[in-house]
Amino acid sequence: MTAQVRSVWFWLALAVLVILIVTLLYPLINVLASSLSSARADGRSGWSVLLAEPKYLRAVANTVTLGAIVTLAATAIGVPLAYVAARYDFPGKALIAILPLTTLVVPEVIAAQTWLMMLGNNGLLTRTLAGWGIGLPSFYGWPGLITVMTFIYYTYVYIGTLAAIRGFDAQLEEAARGLGTSPAVSRLKVMLPVVLPAILASALLVFTLVVGNFAVATILGHKVELLSVLTYQTFISEVSTDPVMQSTLASVSIGLVALVLFLQRWVVSRGRYEIVLGRGAKPVAMRGLKSFGLALAAALVVIISLLPLATVVAGAFTVSRGPVMRWGEWTTAHLWRVFVNAPDPIINTLLYAGTATLISVFFATLVSYLIVKKRTILTPAIDYLTALPLALSGTVIGIGLVMSFNSGWMAITGTGAIIVLAYVIRRLPFGIRNASSTLYNIPNSIEEASISLGVPPLRSFAKVVLPLMIPSVAAAGVLVWTTTVAELSASVVVYSGGRETMPIQIFRLIDSGLMAQASAYGFVLVLMIVIPILLATTVFRLDIFGSR
Amino acid sequence: MARIVIDRLSVAYSGMRVIDGLSLEIEEGSFFTLLGPSGCGKTTLLRTIAGFNPVQSGTLRFGDRDVTNLPAHQRDIGMVFQDYALFPDKTVFDNVAYGLRARRVDAATIRRKVGEALERVGLSAFPERHPVALSGGQRQRVALARALVIQPQVLLMDEPLSNLDAKLRVQVRETIADLQREAGITTVFVTHDQEEALALSDRIGLMRQGSLEQVGPPEDIYRRPVSAYVADFVGAANTVPVDLEAPLAAGMPTRVNLGGIPVAALAPEALGAGSATLVARPEDIALIRGHAAGTLPGIVRRKQYLGGKTAYGIEVAQRQLAVDLHGEDHSGFAIGDPVGVVLDSAKTLVVRS
Ligand SMILES: Nc1ncnc2c1ncn2[C@@H]1O[C@H](COP(=O)(O)OP(=O)(O)O)[C@@H](O)[C@H]1O
Ligand SMILES: [Mg+2]
Repeated sequence: MTAQVRSVWFWLALAVLVILIVTLLYPLINVLASSLSSARADGRSGWSVLLAEPKYLRAVANTVTLGAIVTLAATAIGVPLAYVAARYDFPGKALIAILPLTTLVVPEVIAAQTWLMMLGNNGLLTRTLAGWGIGLPSFYGWPGLITVMTFIYYTYVYIGTLAAIRGFDAQLEEAARGLGTSPAVSRLKVMLPVVLPAILASALLVFTLVVGNFAVATILGHKVELLSVLTYQTFISEVSTDPVMQSTLASVSIGLVALVLFLQRWVVSRGRYEIVLGRGAKPVAMRGLKSFGLALAAALVVIISLLPLATVVAGAFTVSRGPVMRWGEWTTAHLWRVFVNAPDPIINTLLYAGTATLISVFFATLVSYLIVKKRTILTPAIDYLTALPLALSGTVIGIGLVMSFNSGWMAITGTGAIIVLAYVIRRLPFGIRNASSTLYNIPNSIEEASISLGVPPLRSFAKVVLPLMIPSVAAAGVLVWTTTVAELSASVVVYSGGRETMPIQIFRLIDSGLMAQASAYGFVLVLMIVIPILLATTVFRLDIFGSR
Repeated sequence: MARIVIDRLSVAYSGMRVIDGLSLEIEEGSFFTLLGPSGCGKTTLLRTIAGFNPVQSGTLRFGDRDVTNLPAHQRDIGMVFQDYALFPDKTVFDNVAYGLRARRVDAATIRRKVGEALERVGLSAFPERHPVALSGGQRQRVALARALVIQPQVLLMDEPLSNLDAKLRVQVRETIADLQREAGITTVFVTHDQEEALALSDRIGLMRQGSLEQVGPPEDIYRRPVSAYVADFVGAANTVPVDLEAPLAAGMPTRVNLGGIPVAALAPEALGAGSATLVARPEDIALIRGHAAGTLPGIVRRKQYLGGKTAYGIEVAQRQLAVDLHGEDHSGFAIGDPVGVVLDSAKTLVVRS
């Protein structure tokens, strides 16, 4: 009987492996292989073109430079903010707690858009300041890229560092103080080695996100050539004739991200994480001028982080004439258009993201159960494959899918299925990491205790394991949903006319300069993100950010 | 309540044999302990009895029922785990009631039986609490109540005390002993702690690499170990390799050579000629002041005063022997003293190496 059960799990694992190979490994191999072939019209290989044309090398250099600058800037904001949040109490501190929410609630495309509405050529601030005779430099190019990405990504450093400091054993620090070193010195000496790996790991994560970023890069990049933008443009213009260059560029980005992820892994494995279980230090209450300064600095970060939200809401209700916003004059015409005249993007988003979330949650739960509780010889392969999407930007995933499923037995290019597939693949590592960590915390003995008391295995799983998994799986589902409805970089590659999702529609409207229309869709999109989060946390009392 | 009969049982993990042709009978209603070092296969054997590991070959019977291929949930067992394995989302009451509900017992009976079970483990005060709100000792008592309330044929426990601190361990140990005696359920208890095994068991099975080295009552295991392995594992023992010139029959007195001096000893089991091991427990050795004839000459090298006894390390023939002295004046020897070492000929054994 047990042998039979084991073989059922084996066949399930095999099925999962086949699915992963077809939908994930095969497209990836297609991209890499195509970059090596010399099937270009002029007979040159993609790599020789890459090395010969300065445009491509510049794109690589620009991408790495941007990644480095944003990583540094995000760390410079995220680390002090985390330290202050962990160690000090001051008026208004509670506001900082909502920061992790902002990146979740404001999709990148909306962040880029709203910064433009403030500081772009037609931006509110640009015009106001111009009215006072102050000319701002153009926000397009480096200033915009750095500013916007920094204010999107610093939250990752903040969250990572905060967790590490909170877990840092306060007693250790006190012990060091007992040895006679001054508090400041002992703090640095003792805490840094423990917290540094966490900072480095989150900083490297930021770097990979910058390399893969499509929305901000395309909307604000302007004349700054970037890898992701160039890859997308090559794809758009040469999709049917010359897939070699797009594959080569995609391969460069895969290599870059894989290298950094490898580095990150190494950093994490060297980290002294064994001490993280301890009592966190009590926050010190701050008074007087110092507390005022802290509150001010923190408030500034919070306000800048929330600015996109305010702008998109205001923009959705503001009268516009073409690209010109008439701030202060209100209307509901844009929303009327969104809901009544052109609701297709809303319907498409609900349909595709909803389907993808359901599939994603189900598949992630199944795969995690196989990985954690029913190990077979196939498990390591499944383990590695499901981590692959971490090294692939949305653009790369999209290109791989289109290349692979254009024709043949699974010709889904041009259908809604390919959008759903792209969504599921992008969220796969997150879903599995979440479900696995839940499963690791549920000891096998609970299931066995139930069986020993006379309840058959499957019913035991349903009666004692599933109830323990549901809160975290549901929380992960909400997060998958919120990030999937905001997904742009893969879906913009694989979608076809009539299947625009909200982020794609917003992207296109920004391209045409129709900011008010874009805001209206953006406002609805934010609602589609915020409402489920509110429902989940208040009505169902899920700990959403525990699963992040 | 059933007698457990294991016949030439083999269990393997992905081809690697962990239990190797093991046979064992456990009397109805008795308390049997599987004892052995970590990794010797105790858990594997227990889980095979429970039905969580597939059997490679051999048979397993509860009474006249052949359960070799019966799924775990149909075996009618109660199981207690090292990590308690309580259902964290259920109250104490619901945890204990779980098995009764699975058996479709009516609500009134459930209430009565759960009440009694909690009473017996001394936990009737908080049936509505969740496991997180209990201490380790209380959790294991709930687990015990949960396993016993269904009145299983067989009670299986895998190191149920090893997550508890020393004091609780003794308390819960007593609860287990009392409950088992009251209920009279055939019990298999797994531990690597010899003191637990000696204190609780009717019989002990000492395991070594997937097979049973010796099976018997605690006194036998302690007093008449069949091998150096058993003597070493249960209690403290001085073991000295010796050479036998002729085979020995069981219970036969003999003399073996220790550093040139013949020492009287007994073989509890038949032994072939060749290398064997001399076993002498520290408390079975006496010391005489000075080097007297007919004793082994030694020198006191270590001394630890322990109140009720003194533990000495005596150098004899280039070897340290541990000697525990009780009785009056047990701390009377000093480091550096020359002493005569006397082994109790009735308690000094020659066994398999
Ligand atoms: N699930 C398993 N898969 C493979 N080998 C195992 C498994 N469980 C235990 N073993 C191996 O079987 C041997 C016996 O283990 P176990 O029964 O847990 O010993 P004990 O309980 O006496 O410490 C050990 O060598 C262990 O490594
Ligand atoms: Mg064990």
